[in-house]
Amino acid sequence: MKEELIKIEELIGNFDDIEKSNIKELMQIFFKKLGNRLENYVGDYPTFIEPVYLEDNVKIGDDVLLGPNVYIGANSEIQDYVEISNTIVFDNVKIGQNFKLENCVVGKDSSLNFKNLNTKNSVLVGVADSKDKLQSKKL
Amino acid sequence: MPLKENKEIERIKEVESINLARAEIRDEVIETKKAVEKDNELLATRVHQKFKDNNIKSFDIVGAIGAGKTALLEKIVEKLSSQYRILVICGDITTRVDADRIEKHKAETIQINTGRECALNAYHIYKIINNKDLENYDLVFIENVGNLICPSEFILGTDMRLIVVSTTEGEWVVEKHPMLFRMSDIAVINKIDLKERLGTDVEKMSSDAKKINPKIEVITTSAKTGENIEKLINLMEL
Repeated sequence: MKEELIKIEELIGNFDDIEKSNIKELMQIFFKKLGNRLENYVGDYPTFIEPVYLEDNVKIGDDVLLGPNVYIGANSEIQDYVEISNTIVFDNVKIGQNFKLENCVVGKDSSLNFKNLNTKNSVLVGVADSKDKLQSKKL
Repeated sequence: MPLKENKEIERIKEVESINLARAEIRDEVIETKKAVEKDNELLATRVHQKFKDNNIKSFDIVGAIGAGKTALLEKIVEKLSSQYRILVICGDITTRVDADRIEKHKAETIQINTGRECALNAYHIYKIINNKDLENYDLVFIENVGNLICPSEFILGTDMRLIVVSTTEGEWVVEKHPMLFRMSDIAVINKIDLKERLGTDVEKMSSDAKKINPKIEVITTSAKTGENIEKLINLMEL
């Protein structure tokens, strides 16, 4: 499982080549191996549709739905009313309120610090306090 | 709409009562509630179609906490897993205790932890089946969150709904929870092995269920002793 994660992280590092990469295939392999790890988050009771894997110290807001096929990296924060499926969120990421992400990858240390984003099949990276400032590439 | 009002609407939706809405947002709350119900019905129709397209027979199992939903499913799956490829979706507030119990009887399981929600809805099921190759299954059982109230708000798109109650809940449990009996196909009165010891009036439970829904099939079972499990499977047309 970690093997695909490392490869995907490397691939999104080459941001301009993402469309040509095999991230989608790697994500499929990764999700097939994904187990559950739900016990270490901080926050209220969200809805989980397994498999959902949370690394340490993940912060989850109110009315959140995670799954199926969701990996959240360490020290990441998922704010209120967020829905995420078939998505990898790397370490130290902040996801703003009322996001809906499907088939996405969010790069390490990204801060998507704004409200209301509904997106599919995308790689999202960087620090953004509005939708206009968001760096994204289609998968 | 300001976040504060959004939160208020969310909270009111959670308690499922428009009476709590103050005058200024009452219309909005009613419209939201209607839209949510309509969306659920639409998704349930899609779920049903997907099951049908893949020749899958599907069952939603509802019932009170501790009535024996999981125990019955263990028995049913144990008897059927050599003939059918089975997927069991288990709904609980938290933990995967039920899924682990059922998995031992050779069915694939998926656990949904609903957190603060007291029932599964069609969206949960839709999300799961969109991520599964349905050609790999013949039967899908959905074990709903244990209570006799909330699941009546959300149909899931299955072929049949079973409602499970037991002798330990007392003979008034059926007449006190008519909604779910009205919308179920089979009423299972479980823990029949305890009937004598508890002195529960099972005949009253059975006739109450028939009064509420004349079309409902009523069966008494014991998941513990295995009594009438075969009969139940026959009623499910399996």
